[in-house]
Amino acid sequence: MSILLDADTRVLIVGITGKFGTFSVKDLAQSHTRVVAGVAPGRGGQTIEGAPVFSSVAAAMKETHANAALVYVPAVVALDAVLETIEAGCPLIAYPGDGLPVLDAMEMRAAALDHGAHLVGPNSPGLISPGKAKLGFMPSFCYAPGPIGVISRSGSLSYEACFRLSSAGLGQTSVIGIGGDPVRGVNAAEAIALFHDDPETRAIIYLGEIGGSEEYALAEYAKRPDAKPSAALLVGRTAPAGKKMGHAAAMIGSYAESWAAKVEALDRAGVVIARDLDGLASAAASALARAMKPAA
Amino acid sequence: MHFMLITEAQGKALLRAAAIATPSSQELRSLDEARACRINLPAAVKAQVAAGGRGKAGGIRKASSASELEAAFGAIMGMRFAGEAPSSVLVETWLDIERELYLAVAIDSRVGGFNVLYSPRGGVNIEDGPPPLSYPVGLARNFRAHAFRALLEPVESDAKVRERVISTARRLLDIAQANECMTVEINPLVVARGGSLIAADAKIVLDEAAAFRKTATAAAIAASRDKAEREIRLCEEANLMLVWLDGEIGLISGGAGMTMAAMDAIDGAGAQPACFLDVSGNPTPSGFGLAFDLLDRAPNVKGILVSMFGGGLHTDRVAKTLVELLAKRASAKPVTLRLNGTRSDLATTILREAGRQNHATLETAVADIVKRVAGARS
Repeated sequence: MSILLDADTRVLIVGITGKFGTFSVKDLAQSHTRVVAGVAPGRGGQTIEGAPVFSSVAAAMKETHANAALVYVPAVVALDAVLETIEAGCPLIAYPGDGLPVLDAMEMRAAALDHGAHLVGPNSPGLISPGKAKLGFMPSFCYAPGPIGVISRSGSLSYEACFRLSSAGLGQTSVIGIGGDPVRGVNAAEAIALFHDDPETRAIIYLGEIGGSEEYALAEYAKRPDAKPSAALLVGRTAPAGKKMGHAAAMIGSYAESWAAKVEALDRAGVVIARDLDGLASAAASALARAMKPAA
Repeated sequence: MHFMLITEAQGKALLRAAAIATPSSQELRSLDEARACRINLPAAVKAQVAAGGRGKAGGIRKASSASELEAAFGAIMGMRFAGEAPSSVLVETWLDIERELYLAVAIDSRVGGFNVLYSPRGGVNIEDGPPPLSYPVGLARNFRAHAFRALLEPVESDAKVRERVISTARRLLDIAQANECMTVEINPLVVARGGSLIAADAKIVLDEAAAFRKTATAAAIAASRDKAEREIRLCEEANLMLVWLDGEIGLISGGAGMTMAAMDAIDGAGAQPACFLDVSGNPTPSGFGLAFDLLDRAPNVKGILVSMFGGGLHTDRVAKTLVELLAKRASAKPVTLRLNGTRSDLATTILREAGRQNHATLETAVADIVKRVAGARS
C-alpha cells in the first residue's frame, strides 16, 4: 500500500502541450506511471508521446478512465483548470505551480473538500509512491520503496532528505509535498491521517520549516495513544524573525512560528527530532525501530 | 519576494472605503505641508513606513502645538525604520480612549483560509497578553455573525461593543477578499467615549501573487522594489532569492528548504551564514555570476560555499559554469564546492580536471569552508 497513488493509478496531464506537460509524459513513464491522457483546450485529437489529447477533462476521463490528474498550467489560469478537474470527478489532483494567489488556493481547497477529492499543492513537487507511480516532477532516483511515509513543506529538502533515507536503506511508502504556500490542498494534518490509515506505513517523517503552524498538527497527532512513531527535521533554526526565507510561508512572525517553539512542542509530544539534515537518517531509523517493537 | 506591507495611510484609505471610522487625519510630505496642517491639536504624528515596530522605535509622537508638530515632522522624516525612510507622516486627532481592542483577519495555514482574531485588550503589548480569540472562517463567504457572537460572548461582556466588533469583522473580510490581503489588522481598535469604534491603526499585507490581476498590488511591489537595496533588486531581476544575514560564510544553494538546511549546517559547524542565497530559479552562468559578484564584494563574507543538490538540475552543467567563472574570478576568498545528485560523477570529473575538489556531502563541505575561513583569519 501507499497513500493516494499506486501502481494502478491512471494519470492524465492537464496542460500536456506545454513544456512541463510534455516533459512529464516521458518522465512519469520512466517511473512506471501510466499516463493515459492529456488535456489541452482546442487541441483534442492530437497525440503527445503516445498519450491521446482531449479538449476537456470530462472528455478525457470518460474515454480513458483516468483517476488522477497532474495540472501544469500557469497560475493565471490554474484555478479554472483545477476546478474543471475537480468538477469532472477526478479524485486526485496535483497542482505543483508556484505564485498562486492565496484566494485561489482557498477556492481550490474548498472545492476539493466539497467533492471529496484530494488536492496536492500548490507550490509542491507533488506526490510519489516509489516503485509504483509518481504524480509530480521530483527526481525519481532519490526514492526507494519501503515502510516510511514522508511529508514535506519543501521540494528541495525532500529530494535530498529522501536520497539520504534511501541511501541508508530507509525506503518510503509515499512522499507527499504539501507545499511552501500558506494555504494548501492536503495539509499536514490530512497527510498524517492518510499515513496513519495506510497499513504499510510504519513510521512518519515530517520535513518542516519555520513560519506557519502546520508542525503543530504532528505534535497533536504524536500525543495520541494509537499514533505511529514519527520523526521530524525542521529547517530554519538560524533564520532571523521577520524575513521571508524563499517560501511564501517561511517567515517567523511570532514565537509560535519559530524553530525553537515548534521543536519543543514536537519533542514534548514524543516526536524524534533531527537537529539537522545529518541527523535525519538516524532519527528516522529510531522512529522505525519503535514501530517494530511489539506493544508493551 | 517582498513582505508586502502597505503603509498605515494606505491601509486606512481601504478601511474608510468600507465605512470603518478612522481619526480625522492629514498626510504630510513636506515642512510646508506641516506648517499648513489644519488637524485639531493635540495630535498623533506617525511615521509612514512599510515596516513593523515603528511605535517602539520612536516613530509615533504627540504634538500639542504647531511648533511641536513641525519638530516631530522633521525628526520622524530623518529617522530610518528597519533601514527604511518614511515616505510621509500621518497627523491624526488625538483620540479620547475608553478602551483598546484588537481585531484582525489573517490567512492561517491550518484554517485553510481566513482566521478572525479578537482581543478585548489590544494595544502595543498585545503579544505579551493571552493569545487572542480565534474564529476560523476559511472562505470569507463562510463568515457567520451568530458563530462569531457565540465565541465572543464569554470574552467580550459589553453587548454593544460585541455587535460593533462583529460588523467590523465582516467588513475586514470584505476588504481582505476584494483587495487580496494576507492580513488586515486593526490594533488598536479604539472604543471612544460614547461607545463608537475607531480604527487607530491599520496593518494591511497584500498577497504579492495576486499582482497579475490587482494593479494596486503591482504598484506597491514596484514602489517597494524601488526602495529596496540595489543588491536585493539585482537578485530579484535575475530570479535569485537573497536575504543578508550577519555571518561570514557566503552560502549559494538551491531551493528554499535546502538553503535553510545548509544555513543550519553552517551553524552546527560553529560558524554563521552571511546570507540566504537561493539560485535555483536561475542556475546559469549569469545567475551564478551575479551570486559570486555580490559575495566577493561583501566585506563580511570571508569564504563561499556552493552547495547544490541536482534533482532536475544537471550538476555537470553547474560544474562547467563554476569552473569557467572561478577561472576568471579576481577575489581570493576561499570557495568550497559540493555538487550532488543528477550527474554528479561527471561534475566531480569536470571539477577534478580543473584542479578543484567536489565534496561528497553537505557536512564535509561545510566543515571544509569553516576550517578554511578560520585558517585565513588566524
